[in-house]
Amino acid sequence: MNPGSDELVITLNGARRDATVDRRKLLVEALREDFETTGPKVGCATGDCGACTVLMDGEIRKSCLELAVAANGSVITTLEGISDGQLTPLQEAFWDEYAFQCGFCLSGMLFSAQDLIDRVPNPTDLEIRSAISGNLCRCTGYDTIVNAIRRAAPGSSATTRHRPSIEESEDGKSASPSS
Amino acid sequence: MISASFRYETPSSAAEAAGLLNAGAQVMGGGTWVVPALNHGVRQPKVIIDLRRAGLGGIERDGDTVRVGATCTYADVLTSSLVATELPLLKTMALGVTGGRQILNQGTIGGSVAAARPSSDAPAVVVALGGRVVVLGPDGGRIVDADTFFVGPERTVLGSNEIVVALEFSSARGLHVGYSKLKHGASSWPIVTAAAVLRDADAAGGPAVAVTLGGIAGAPLSVDLGDCLVDGQVEENRARTAIAEQVDLIEAPWSDVIASAEYRRAVAPVVGVRAVRMAAGSTAGDPA
Amino acid sequence: MSLEADLARPAQPASAYVGDRQRKHNGNSFLTGEVMYTADLTLPNLAHVAILRSPHAHAHVRRMDTRAAESMPGVVGVLTGAQAAAISDPIPFLLDPAGLGGKNAPVRCLAGDEVVYAGQPVAAVLADTPADAAAAARAIDVDYEVLPAVLDIKTALAADAALVYPDWGDNVMLAGAFGPDDFETQAATADHVLEGELRIQRSTPSPMETRAYIADWDQRRSALTWYGTTQNPHPQRFVLAKALRIPEHSIRVIAPPAGGAFGLKMHGHPEETLVAVLSRQFGRPVKWVESRAECLLQGGREQLQRFRVAYDNDGRVRAFYDEFTADHGAMAAGAGWGMAFVGANSFPSGYDIQHCRVEYKIVVTNKPPSVGMKPFGKDSAVVVLERAMDLVAEATGLDPAEVRRRNFVAADLFPYTAASGMVLDSGSYHSVLENALTMIDYDRRRTDQQVARLAGRAIGIGIGFEMLAEGADVPASFVTAYDSATVRVDPSGHVTVLTGATSPGGGNDTAFAQIVADRVGVGPADVEVVQGDTALCPYGTGNLSSRGLVVGGGAVALAADDIGEKLRAIAAGMLQVGRGEIELRDGFATASGDPSKALPLAVVANAAYTLGYVFAPDIEPALESTRAFKMPNVRQVPDDQGRYSMYTTFSNAVYVSVIELCTETGVVEVIDHAIVHDCGTQVNPLFVEGQVRGGVVMGIGAAIGETIVYDSTGHLSSDSFKQYLLRRAIDLPSLAVGHEVTPSPFSNLGAKGVGESGYAAAEASLMGAVNDALNPLGARVDDFPLSAERLLRSIQAARS
Repeated sequence: MNPGSDELVITLNGARRDATVDRRKLLVEALREDFETTGPKVGCATGDCGACTVLMDGEIRKSCLELAVAANGSVITTLEGISDGQLTPLQEAFWDEYAFQCGFCLSGMLFSAQDLIDRVPNPTDLEIRSAISGNLCRCTGYDTIVNAIRRAAPGSSATTRHRPSIEESEDGKSASPSS
Repeated sequence: MISASFRYETPSSAAEAAGLLNAGAQVMGGGTWVVPALNHGVRQPKVIIDLRRAGLGGIERDGDTVRVGATCTYADVLTSSLVATELPLLKTMALGVTGGRQILNQGTIGGSVAAARPSSDAPAVVVALGGRVVVLGPDGGRIVDADTFFVGPERTVLGSNEIVVALEFSSARGLHVGYSKLKHGASSWPIVTAAAVLRDADAAGGPAVAVTLGGIAGAPLSVDLGDCLVDGQVEENRARTAIAEQVDLIEAPWSDVIASAEYRRAVAPVVGVRAVRMAAGSTAGDPA
Repeated sequence: MSLEADLARPAQPASAYVGDRQRKHNGNSFLTGEVMYTADLTLPNLAHVAILRSPHAHAHVRRMDTRAAESMPGVVGVLTGAQAAAISDPIPFLLDPAGLGGKNAPVRCLAGDEVVYAGQPVAAVLADTPADAAAAARAIDVDYEVLPAVLDIKTALAADAALVYPDWGDNVMLAGAFGPDDFETQAATADHVLEGELRIQRSTPSPMETRAYIADWDQRRSALTWYGTTQNPHPQRFVLAKALRIPEHSIRVIAPPAGGAFGLKMHGHPEETLVAVLSRQFGRPVKWVESRAECLLQGGREQLQRFRVAYDNDGRVRAFYDEFTADHGAMAAGAGWGMAFVGANSFPSGYDIQHCRVEYKIVVTNKPPSVGMKPFGKDSAVVVLERAMDLVAEATGLDPAEVRRRNFVAADLFPYTAASGMVLDSGSYHSVLENALTMIDYDRRRTDQQVARLAGRAIGIGIGFEMLAEGADVPASFVTAYDSATVRVDPSGHVTVLTGATSPGGGNDTAFAQIVADRVGVGPADVEVVQGDTALCPYGTGNLSSRGLVVGGGAVALAADDIGEKLRAIAAGMLQVGRGEIELRDGFATASGDPSKALPLAVVANAAYTLGYVFAPDIEPALESTRAFKMPNVRQVPDDQGRYSMYTTFSNAVYVSVIELCTETGVVEVIDHAIVHDCGTQVNPLFVEGQVRGGVVMGIGAAIGETIVYDSTGHLSSDSFKQYLLRRAIDLPSLAVGHEVTPSPFSNLGAKGVGESGYAAAEASLMGAVNDALNPLGARVDDFPLSAERLLRSIQAARS
């Protein structure tokens, strides 16, 4: 084995996986290239955009800030491992509320969102906005993401799938439809 | 991607880590600054010493001292009931760290202290709490008062063969604390931070109030506001003036792409007084 | 029944899906990680590129030694500018300033002897891994002779300025004007004249996905397959063909789903050609992924605006004069300079000011080239006009909303020919304004503002009205107001749409599925949409100028109607009823008079292929139609005043912001905001709102905090998201969104472009709101960004 490589053994999306990985790689690169899970994205490589967020040993982490070699023995979940044959309530809510457009930030957002509603079953809008403030989105302007998370939170009362006709503002006022 | 290869070490004790240090080595706590620096070729160390398995992650009490291990993450600080009761200012600081929950899970307080960035939260708070930095080198350990640990921007008294193993604090339980920081939106790192600590007149040592500013000089700047106390209350105009005077004396004021030195100078008294106001308005032992 | 009645085309189908808030097409593929973006793709034997970029803003390349690099581990080869020039041609311009009487300079995939900006590609290394390529790039030894650089407009226009391109004789790429040159005459009869100026900083589109390209040269066939983040696959193919000196038909361009574009990914970037040259030269498939720092090199919008307004006491503007200078950076083969042209052409926004004169100048400097970014220069006209309206309000004592009311193009004046020659199609600006003011509860806000001021709080309210020209057709370019689509139903009844329009995230594929569903009678989930592949899709110009839905969807509608007609003909024959009686809905062809007469569409489709002679012998076989839709309202032959009209749809919006300004720190907080938007018929209101929301947040960012910063030597200082500060969720309150629908009289869907909406209105509104907050303090600002530092300085200056 190349002295600049390591054998990495991880549990990835529930399966034991191993690969020989160039030691220079970031965890996000190893996941995408050596382990072929392209769900986590590289958006900045400085830990700012959150597109590389994964679940690692029970907590969400930005995988561009981890060396691949440091992840040996870890239990990791990527986007590909979130749904188990069926979309989660959070994923359905994201779809219903149009919480993703180009989809590039989606993986990271889902992890940050799920982490919040796992810890805080009935989050306030401020808590929701704070929880996704480690993730950048350039398409949606965030409101629909907030709506999706609010709906998917276990403590939320909005459990049925519905199609709101006009976006509701934060304090419940309806925007007036015109025309 | 990182383009130069390196040896990767995960020492299982602080002593082992210290023994590995040399000029070509880079120590890593959570890696939130070190890894991007490697990725952009800013640093190309021959050896990376990852402290995550060196047993430096605990938070414990030792008599009247609270000891926070260097590799404690901000999340560890947030979930610690010991920190909540004895060092609430530290908890408040951890809550507001830029970068989302992910960074709270990954960033370490020892790493932030060792990196000594004017744009970080931890250094000024550690100084404000009168913290002590526990350092270990191959020749043994030493303890450095935080207010002498930080020398300038990204410069501390750490030798190239020394690591930070822990931070020690006396309990701040009996103190009023306040924390305020100015950012330009959630994306921005802190521009000016202020950690205020206020001791009641009837507490041991008598009344005292001080605010420690980050982001204004290369190292945290402490301003004693004792002279601003009027009948046990901080007179805010006096406090603003006192802070401004100290800021004016800085020889190498800090600036970066986000905010100039003039701006920091202008807002430092404002942010400082906000922190003091919070401390004055809080109950002793409450978080800021 | 007569044959004519049988063949009569039915009216617009009853909309089951168009107008509905359908979920994103194939959303599950995104949610499960199935979707592959360009950087996710890999090919066998792939090699990776690292680009060596100039460290100097202006320099002569004396010597380049690549020997050390070539012998480093994993290196496949190194390409210098000189070598690239021998085997490739300059990159064709997306828009050529020489076409308007301006100047250009050739742009190649690698710099030659001269480098004109820090960051310009000078050499490329191909290696087995990205890390090996990066290491080797650092080992290339280049000897530069550093030359004086011009880094701002003033320096570039000085009499003794160093020249970016010596053979130009000056640093002016293009200058021009729109409108009658009669401001002085008009001003002489107006009650007053006021002056103003605005400086706008450089910002950047910064989609979350950076650019990425993969080139796969097939030696045996001398053919290229090129994958990449391009907004315009077919024009991209043309560009690559010319640069590589190969026939266009030997190139296949594939644009995988993209992670946002916002103008950044329009063609013309050196790296697009570079990967193809490398693949052909070294015989390996080649991949390049842009770093975020490289992505932040691309920017634009930097300009200096000066304006004069002649107005009467009643707030009515009689004449408008604007002159502006744009700092383009170095020359590019992309669309960046077009923004200044379009910006000038967009005055006076949606205001009825016939005497409007705009003079513009585009200057080159030794900074990275401008790249197209939404809303492509139209923001210039908007922010200037909105500032002007606010200044008129201040001067006359009228409410800013009232000034706008008195100057809007009234609803009964459409189609309205503006001074620039643009013909605005339709609009209900007054109604949009009233609704926006109602949504934000404007009168109460003004009262609250007075109360707050007494308590020492600086609250500001700003109105931003944007009129956005979309759907351009620029002569002699691939910016077109037409696009093509194929709709195909196979014998099993499955529907496929192939379109020349692309969607880098905005979701027009969902809209196309809805359009087809209504016209062919299937559900949107049963429609497959294929985009972005030049081998499969009919000719189109992709995504730009907010026209994907309008003309792409227009073509889809035409082709789907053809299919519907054929299905109706076959079904009518099978059901023995008149063709005009057949309804296509919910997967069935049903006789409207007798619902018991119904056939599954799959059966009808099969019959179209196998029983055509029996049921509809007059119908051309195969359920496939390729159609192009072209907007009719383009004038490329000048009118009697020498004016052109290139734009075909005109959306508009009013955005109102309520801000609080901290007078001690200069920090601005948006405490509430609302927008009412009109893009005509909405095929999918959920998607329309999504575009508007995203545009607003981007515009707020540009107004308050996003600044591309260069140091005194022309190096990028803001090279990460720690310095280029995008808005995050916690920064803003939720946005109330309302809509007006004033259809386009010219698009067959009645729709207008929405892809660039929200940005300009938000940016303008914030300038107004901040000045509204500063006014009582005797302070004002005329520069973007509205940074805390700038605002605090303005407050301090007013105090002293």
